[in-house]
Amino acid sequence: MMSLLNNVINALEQAVLEVIDATSGEVKLVAGEGKWITELFPASKNQQSFIINENTAFLFDFLVDARLVWQEQKDDKIRSGLWTEITENNSELHLEATAIKQQQKNLLLITNQLEDYRFQQKTKQLAREILLSNDRLFLQNEYLQTRLQSILKRPPEQDNIVLTLTKVIENAEFAVIITKGNFAPIIENSAALSLFEQCSYTSSLPIRPVDIITKLMKNQLPEFERIVATKSSWEGELCWISPPSTLKWLKVGLYPVKNKLNEPESWIIFVNDISTIKHLVQRNEKLALEDMLTKLPNRFSFWQTLEQQIAANRCFYLVYVDINEFRRHNEFYGHLEGDKLLIEFGQRIKNTIKESDFIARVGGDEFAIILSNVADQSSCEQAILRIFDTINKTFKTNKSESFHVSVSIGAASFPNDARSVEELMKFVDLSAYNGKKNKRNSLQFYSQSIKDASHQIIKIEQELRHAIRNEEFELYLQPIIDLKTRTITKAEALIRWNHPEKGLVSPDQFIEIAEKSDLIIAIGEWVIHRACQLVKEINHQGFNIKISVNLSPSQVIDANLFSYLRKCIIDFQIEPALLELEVTEGVLVDDYSTARKLLSNARTIGMTVSVDDFGTGYSSLAYLKKLPLDFLKIDRSFIKDIVNDENDKAIVKAVIAMAHNLNLSVTTEGVETEEQLKFLITNSCNSVQGYLFSRPIQLDAFIKLIDEQTLPDNINNAL
Amino acid sequence: MIQKKICLLGASSVGKTSLVKQFVEGIFSEKYQTTIGVKVDKKALIVDDEKINFMLWDIEGNDRYNVFEERYLRGAAGLIIVVDQTRASSLIEGLDIHTLAKQVTSCPAILAINKSDLPSTWHLSSQEQEAYNDLFSLQFNTSAKTGAQVENMFLALAELLLKDKRNDVTTK
Repeated sequence: MMSLLNNVINALEQAVLEVIDATSGEVKLVAGEGKWITELFPASKNQQSFIINENTAFLFDFLVDARLVWQEQKDDKIRSGLWTEITENNSELHLEATAIKQQQKNLLLITNQLEDYRFQQKTKQLAREILLSNDRLFLQNEYLQTRLQSILKRPPEQDNIVLTLTKVIENAEFAVIITKGNFAPIIENSAALSLFEQCSYTSSLPIRPVDIITKLMKNQLPEFERIVATKSSWEGELCWISPPSTLKWLKVGLYPVKNKLNEPESWIIFVNDISTIKHLVQRNEKLALEDMLTKLPNRFSFWQTLEQQIAANRCFYLVYVDINEFRRHNEFYGHLEGDKLLIEFGQRIKNTIKESDFIARVGGDEFAIILSNVADQSSCEQAILRIFDTINKTFKTNKSESFHVSVSIGAASFPNDARSVEELMKFVDLSAYNGKKNKRNSLQFYSQSIKDASHQIIKIEQELRHAIRNEEFELYLQPIIDLKTRTITKAEALIRWNHPEKGLVSPDQFIEIAEKSDLIIAIGEWVIHRACQLVKEINHQGFNIKISVNLSPSQVIDANLFSYLRKCIIDFQIEPALLELEVTEGVLVDDYSTARKLLSNARTIGMTVSVDDFGTGYSSLAYLKKLPLDFLKIDRSFIKDIVNDENDKAIVKAVIAMAHNLNLSVTTEGVETEEQLKFLITNSCNSVQGYLFSRPIQLDAFIKLIDEQTLPDNINNAL
Repeated sequence: MIQKKICLLGASSVGKTSLVKQFVEGIFSEKYQTTIGVKVDKKALIVDDEKINFMLWDIEGNDRYNVFEERYLRGAAGLIIVVDQTRASSLIEGLDIHTLAKQVTSCPAILAINKSDLPSTWHLSSQEQEAYNDLFSLQFNTSAKTGAQVENMFLALAELLLKDKRNDVTTK
């Protein structure tokens, strides 16, 4: 029996040592023989006991953990983990020790783990090489994307763009394809051509890489239609199968390059062959279906499960969760923190849903959940409210900084909303996208109205594009009265849209859509252009009236804005001092350094700067001291009840005093009554604007007004 | 003779094994060979006429395939946190590992910014430099490939440890 056991132990490449004295580390070899054991423990020959000492430093250190097990009364064991021992003959042994307490006996089992070591070595070697190359590719990808975007946005006449692009992309380690807005290829690098190279007998005509990629996206991405329609970027994996011998896994990045009319002028496509990593994970089925980062099921596992659910014909809700502003989070805290958030986020949701439900990570910051056996919307809503609850709790970075995230959730029902995998995915994707408009938590169930609303936005966008081309906008001017000189010295330019069918459309009905679709840049440039023209025309009539224009957040971060302003000033030959820029508090705080640079430049050439809607945004005034500003415009909400509301009175008085301390002038908006005006005069406000003096009016009426400079008697009396 | 346990820690593929190999054997291999588990090498040094034996614990790099094992730091007299100057992420990982290590040991730590023979993709600002001066006893820009600063780093660590023998729990 003993000899049989010994054979087994030898076959398993193990050595059993009986512990004679746990404190000193004295042991005796009781089973196992082999060259490696003698090499490891030369003193074990002749069945003599020996002491484990620092010659085997790792094992010597492990004795500390082992003693804890040996001291116990109950059976137990502990493993050391793999280590490599260099023997006196300079050969390497890959070993693992297990300290065992078994029926009051103290044992130390040493296993020669050469096979396991080799397997781990091979697997981790490949995995780490891939990690390294991914790191490199990630950096290169980020760099190239920024560089290509800037080249493609240059005016076409500036230089030979294709030549520049060729130089930039040729040495990329991955395939780069640049297409026109309709996916017609402009340029492909050598890596793209070799990645998509097919055996000549498979087709008589070579197929362009871009055709293969777009076909794969159409077939494998239910979101593709929405991505193209909304000009969004996408990153993910596609599988390219081309019989008889091609099967490649591709990591694809699709990025739009938009023009001022928010139309995709070009697309940048990056493709990496990740077949090796797929091969690696497919060796292990668990890994093949598991997302490496979050350990949740991955996209493929999700599709399999979704298909099985549909095949089983049981009702369920498909829920799609998208983290809002995840990219911003990544940029702010770094990618490691981004990874940490994804892991915790996934885990929180997993802990919230039932065992029978299913959650997977299906994209960068996207998770999909199958709520099994849920037939009605209210039950689904209950489950989603629990998800909101868990997500609303504070997250923490590694440095214990607290932050919150919000999500956009889309939900669709099987079989009520759709009966196929593709349709269900398309519907929840659209619903989540629809809810993403605000930055708060949102839940959208799929409905016809979502489809209609998304079509409506696309329609308004198209109409706005048309409006820009056809110059359907008009600038109205609202006078601003200087309380010291009692004259109109300035006017705020306010945009109106003369819609060919709907008539005059106010900005609140289109600016938000313009801001979201980036059309705001083109509209903003039109406003600046027209404002300069108005300054010129008014000046021509003999009046020096300053015109202030509102800048949107997108304009403030637009790198070309300042040069555009200068160009207009030069083209119209106007005094820069007759132009003022109005920015809101939010813009100043969100993009502090960009805003500061722009405003400093503007002031350097003589323009003035005012903070619009002051008091409605952030209460921190620290930035006021640091930013180059001239005016504060107190928001109309403080003025409305100023005659009766003591709080508003106190706030306005304090703001005026503080502004004057900082050498800033104060303009008050929304002045509608004589009482309000009197209060402002008493408290040294510098200028006023509001219906008491004039509504926003067209140019002709404005010129007439300044020409006459006749304010009604009652106002004159107040002044 | 004094024995000192020195642990090399850091993200995977920053060059921990290569630093040990360069120091112990004076050789460098271009081929990246990932470490599995722990490998202990020994090297004797003579500092100020005193012989000191370094037990160099080359510990598998930390990444998504291998988590930090604090028990390996038991009895360590010094830590060398290795980062790669061609990968900015390795510095962040190195600092995280340092934070974890400091929770279980108070022994001195050295920051080795390795691969100095290659163009760096990041550098420490003077503010960061100042902040890291508090975290690390010493800092070296090493190249396991050319050997630059490798020996100096280990010698400096030996000198540092000899200054305070009381930290040495393995002295015989």
